[in-house]
Amino acid sequence: MNGNGDFLALLPPSPFARLSAADGAPPALQATTVFAFHCAEGVLIAGDHRATSGNLVFSDKTEKILELDSHSLMAIAGVPATAFEMARTLQTTFEFYRRSQLQPMSLAAKVRALSRLLHDNLPATLQGVGTVAPIFAGLELADPNARPVIYFYDPLGATFEATAHAASGSGSTSIKSVLHYLENWGHPRPQEMSLEQATNLANRLLMTAAEFDTATGGVRPEKGLFATIKLLTREGIRTLPPEEHETYWDQAKS
Amino acid sequence: MTEEPYRWLEAISNRREYVREQLKGGTPVFALSRPEGILLLGVGQGQQSKVFEIYDRHAFAALGHPVDIEKLRQSAIEAAHLEGFNRSPADVTLRRLISFALSTSLKNAFEQIYAPPIMAEALFAELGETPAQDVLVRLHYDGNHHYETSGVLLAFGHPQREEEAAAWIRQTVKPDDTLPRTASVCLAAWTALMGEKPFAGLPAPVEPLLQIEGRTVEAALLDRKLTGRVHYRRLDLAALPR
Repeated sequence: MNGNGDFLALLPPSPFARLSAADGAPPALQATTVFAFHCAEGVLIAGDHRATSGNLVFSDKTEKILELDSHSLMAIAGVPATAFEMARTLQTTFEFYRRSQLQPMSLAAKVRALSRLLHDNLPATLQGVGTVAPIFAGLELADPNARPVIYFYDPLGATFEATAHAASGSGSTSIKSVLHYLENWGHPRPQEMSLEQATNLANRLLMTAAEFDTATGGVRPEKGLFATIKLLTREGIRTLPPEEHETYWDQAKS
Repeated sequence: MTEEPYRWLEAISNRREYVREQLKGGTPVFALSRPEGILLLGVGQGQQSKVFEIYDRHAFAALGHPVDIEKLRQSAIEAAHLEGFNRSPADVTLRRLISFALSTSLKNAFEQIYAPPIMAEALFAELGETPAQDVLVRLHYDGNHHYETSGVLLAFGHPQREEEAAAWIRQTVKPDDTLPRTASVCLAAWTALMGEKPFAGLPAPVEPLLQIEGRTVEAALLDRKLTGRVHYRRLDLAALPR
């Protein structure tokens, strides 16, 4: 018993750290597209559903936006085995801290906790077998005026705060371009968009990414298949149900 | 001293007396299995808490030395989270927590007469799908424990008074009572226990009794209706419909 709320200290050393680094293997990003941007109601975070293995589609029903606690989300891009394990570790870490210390973990500490996991994963990243580049969205609960914040990470654990948007995964380049364009010349700009507009934008962005990236997919509105979209606000996290996607999508058409 | 069996028995018996004496000043805590969930109630002073969340569907309340309550709480939280992480949240059950993580170490702490005992009387609650599936456990300072099936459980330093209070609450709380109403019956029992009044002929409170002068009433609910992973929430009894 250590009593200081550090769940990781209870676990045996990470198995990832025991891998030795291979020479010359560059960190390679794996297939996926996830992104987050500020809209009028809060932070919208979205992802496609495709998981690939080389040129094969492994699954078209993967959930990549994971809720870590009542006010933090992680969008995973990279090797799923490592990414899901990181999310699970963080979920337990945050809850363990909150319950044992009788206060929620600060946002800065949450952001740092993910950075530490990425750093511990360095050997696997260098070998090219466990690269993860996630996006994190959270809110500082202790500050009554705080607004949701987006962070993105490089595979080595460096943390960056995104002022407007962040995207990760193999399809992220097209999305970054579109979001950058809208940010500067859009009417409305993404941060002024209502939830309806932002949801339609997110679905269209993923369809755009899928057009140029074979490893992004699973979003096909004509078949009732939409992106995973979650909205983070002061009140908490809300997952948009398929019917809501459909309503917004149909309204935009008419 | 411990080479002689008789001296060991005497030491244990002295220790029991000492722990009981220390626990006498403690104020009782309550857990009641209700249709809405499991209601937990404690009466503390100032910021000091007596009711705590352990895991997704688990809560704990205790009286005794604050340091020992904290030790029990931390051990339970650690064991639950490790188990939930290594296996799954569904594998975290009260029966397992009590048997592998808590009762053994309490018994050891109590019987190793050169080490300090853990001076706390505790109760644990696990939320089920229905009140019949709820699990309530009363855990004593020496590791002894029992599973309560009546849906009403309290922890107090005096075993006989504890039983009397539980019996009175069982017959006074009605199946369709609201949470504030249920809580006020518990607080009436609390007042009787602390004032050393008899339970025979004690009337149920007519007006809801939700506060105790100079003390902080702490209420929490393991809420059956909450759909997320976490079911524990603090209750503001005064704000609930009576």
